[in-house]
Amino acid sequence: MVTERQIDWRSGIVEALRANDIELICHVSDTVLAPIVRTLEEDPTFNVVTLTREEEGVGTLTGAYLGGVRGALLLQASGFGNILNALGSLAIPYQIPFPIILSARGGFLEHNVVQVAWGKAAPETAEALGMQYFPMTREDEVAFVAEQGMRHAFVSRRPTVIGIETQLSGGKRGR
Amino acid sequence: MAANPSLERPERADLTRRIVDTAADDVLLVSGIGNASFDLRAIAGERPGNFYMLGSMGQAISIGLGLALAQPERSVVVMEGEGSVLLNMSALATIGMVAPPNLTLVIWDNEQWQITGGQRLSTAESCDLAAVATACGIQNSATPANADEFVQALRYALDAPGPHALVTKIAPTPGLPPQRDDPVAIKLNFMADLGLAPD
Repeated sequence: MVTERQIDWRSGIVEALRANDIELICHVSDTVLAPIVRTLEEDPTFNVVTLTREEEGVGTLTGAYLGGVRGALLLQASGFGNILNALGSLAIPYQIPFPIILSARGGFLEHNVVQVAWGKAAPETAEALGMQYFPMTREDEVAFVAEQGMRHAFVSRRPTVIGIETQLSGGKRGR
Repeated sequence: MAANPSLERPERADLTRRIVDTAADDVLLVSGIGNASFDLRAIAGERPGNFYMLGSMGQAISIGLGLALAQPERSVVVMEGEGSVLLNMSALATIGMVAPPNLTLVIWDNEQWQITGGQRLSTAESCDLAAVATACGIQNSATPANADEFVQALRYALDAPGPHALVTKIAPTPGLPPQRDDPVAIKLNFMADLGLAPD
């Protein structure tokens, strides 16, 4: 069941994308992100590309930025592990800005031990690469953190990570 | 001893020169890490609308996809080695699905990782990259066997809706001497050529 509360924080992320003039959305499968992707696909402002593997998103968003179009990469924490070299040897040295909207796993509400290592390492890895990781844990901070976290990518001329933490999303509970 | 057929194949630098000579001034050229970029940079380093990769093996075809989406009125030609395409082969499936009509992938296939010592690759034996591209939905896949066929296929690709893939077997010739480049300067020059101001 989709509650009103869930609709609200997801809308905050969509509005933050719009406020930052982001048009191209690249994404790889995630349960928490899926309703956001559906909303974006129905909105003519956005062009949604379903990637095959997350690393392609770094190249695709780099090409789009070089051509004058801002984009964002939506993925889950494990997918963040698939893009690291492309960040380090393309987006960061070429100063290509885009927000990475990361659906966190491995912390509170987790049921699967294999998610734990990347759940801890994702923010630390972003920091090690010199990128900001902005966590969102409460609905009332989403509008500000999402909009300003995305904006920070363009100010700092590099990707930033906006983390949808499990306290906010409810995580992905075991079935 | 039989002659080595790979030595009779066209050379990347010669075909790169033909791309530069054939493509109109407004065609955007993206070259992948290593020899593809070394050759384009040495042959046409000052050409407006060139983007050179210095790292991130495999990402050139994805950069081409994003650029083709952002600049739908321009043709985009990506030059990339087969080793890099094999590394990011998932992107062929994405490109086939998105199917930007203005994107052409030129894949240089010398059947080896030439730049790291000539280690033999799957395209020498078992992997048919043109068939992979076609199977991924890139319907216009050509396998030009010499320079004339290459130019003919390139002219068609620049004229007809794509995406196109020109999977070209080339001789294992080393790249032209690399030049030191600043990634930010590459970005700024490229965007300035398009009249764009980066953040």
